[in-house]
Amino acid sequence: MHMSDALVSPATAAAAGVAAATLLAVAVRQTGRDCRCDGEADGRCAHVVPMMGVMGAFVFAAQMINFSIPGTGSSGHIVGGVLLAAVLGAWPAFVTLSSVIILQCMLFADGGLMALGCNIVNMAALSCLLAYPLVYRPVVGDGMSRGRIIAASVLASVVSLELGAAAVVAETSLSSVAALPARDFLLFMLPIHLAIGIGEGVATAAVVITLHRYDPSLLVDCQRPVQPDSRRWRRGLAAAVAVALVVAASFSWLASSKPDGLEWSIGQVNGGEEIMPADGKPIYGIVADVQHATAVMPEYNTSFAGIIGCGVILAVVFGITRLCRPSRRRI
Amino acid sequence: MKERLAYALAQMNELERAAEHPAPLHRIDARAQLITTASFLIIMLSVPLGQLSEIMLYFIFPLVVSAMGGNDYMAVARRSLVAVPFAAMIGIFNVVCNRETVMTVGSMAITRGWVEFLSILLRGVLSVQAVMLLIRSTGFYRLCRSMQRLGVPSVMATQLVMVYRYTYVLLEEALAMSRARSARGFGRRSYPVKMWGVMIGQLLMRAFERSRLVGRAMAARGFTGCMPSPIGDCRAWCRCDTLFCAAWIALLLTMRLWSPVERMFSLFNSIMQ
Repeated sequence: MHMSDALVSPATAAAAGVAAATLLAVAVRQTGRDCRCDGEADGRCAHVVPMMGVMGAFVFAAQMINFSIPGTGSSGHIVGGVLLAAVLGAWPAFVTLSSVIILQCMLFADGGLMALGCNIVNMAALSCLLAYPLVYRPVVGDGMSRGRIIAASVLASVVSLELGAAAVVAETSLSSVAALPARDFLLFMLPIHLAIGIGEGVATAAVVITLHRYDPSLLVDCQRPVQPDSRRWRRGLAAAVAVALVVAASFSWLASSKPDGLEWSIGQVNGGEEIMPADGKPIYGIVADVQHATAVMPEYNTSFAGIIGCGVILAVVFGITRLCRPSRRRI
Repeated sequence: MKERLAYALAQMNELERAAEHPAPLHRIDARAQLITTASFLIIMLSVPLGQLSEIMLYFIFPLVVSAMGGNDYMAVARRSLVAVPFAAMIGIFNVVCNRETVMTVGSMAITRGWVEFLSILLRGVLSVQAVMLLIRSTGFYRLCRSMQRLGVPSVMATQLVMVYRYTYVLLEEALAMSRARSARGFGRRSYPVKMWGVMIGQLLMRAFERSRLVGRAMAARGFTGCMPSPIGDCRAWCRCDTLFCAAWIALLLTMRLWSPVERMFSLFNSIMQ
């Protein structure tokens, strides 16, 4: 997923660079606070800097190892954002992964110097600052059972990589360097990164399970106080929304333009694809006008409609659950 | 995997050693080199894709800089080919999409897509070469210090140095574990899938333990979480640094704004006519 300098224009690189620098400034500020609280000698704070170093080195080494993706003839490597965030927390993980990306650019020419901003946004920001808090943490919960760790790791890794792949496509298209249409490029990138995301999720889960088994104090989620039920529930909903949006946006490209089963059956019976309104029956016209007036997007864009439709369904479900929740007992 | 990790360690060692050789470029401040490389990349990437000849002219920069740093340019060029596959994978679609003929060589028509494809490849290779030469002439530690002096926050500079240093710790631990496993594996080469998670988890825990010891040792010697501001280990900016920066930026801007290749062609044509 490392973007090369050859694929970005100076304007896109500058815009992404400003975004990455702003996020890094916030992250450095947050991490600086953690590093300075070294009053408690045996606490976690005293070890933040060495832990960030070790974890950064670990991800740096892990990114050197490529695994092949069956059937595609290509290979990928892990990004490691979710693993870093699970051990260090979101902001220190962002600083660490950014430093890994800078190191890879400097030492192994993996990703360009001008494209650093793009790479930091695509890999570090989306995995540590979006997939971890919105998907990993709500799914893993406070219990951290084996099944939850696997589900959280795989889901968060898939979400972060798919979002990263979409961001690569957006940046390349904005740069106007490659002539490949954005839609085709996206269709090419998303399935590959889905496979890499599943591989990364399994690898992340394996490491987190081992750490949880032998030394849970190394995981930042094991040190958080147990949250009240209502907050957990909200986070779970946020995770579901994030996953649903990514899945809707990823797969609505694959929506078929061919008739669905009912239309096909009607076509077989009727000889045409649709039942046409009968002449002299104004009700059809009236209903069609009403439908046209009430339809939000009559000539809709597939992917955008996927996101909107998903949001509407989730809002309805959210409303129903709010209405049906048991009333709190008053003492 | 063991070989790949050992190779990565050797490569990093080689980079560090390259920066210690006596060469004219190594006397230039790392900040000046960083500013010049960034300027080169911005100016080179702003050249339109269709101007292949203009982009080729920018090879002057890596050629001269590698000579100044005492590097073998062919070795740098070979290593820079790592940038080619991904750029080629994306750029090949330009060949398919843009079929407008822009020139003919004999009876062969060359399309705009091919020109843009070659242009993308050259941009990739040039940018990688520039960064490789920067790191080979400054060394990683000097580069981090220069970034800190240019305003990069201390936490970030410390983190970069830490990751770099701990990579050695981690890879050494990994090699030790791998060697121990090979010695007790009765010739079995592959690891069972179940073992991977445990091995990697163990590796992390060993590395954490070692990092805690190192962290305590550093704290005992006055380390407060961030590298102190560079005073003693960096030299002051001098006139030759200004000259180096100014000369390169002026040359690159002239190449970009004056289009010397086009002018040379038009001059050549007018002479021939």
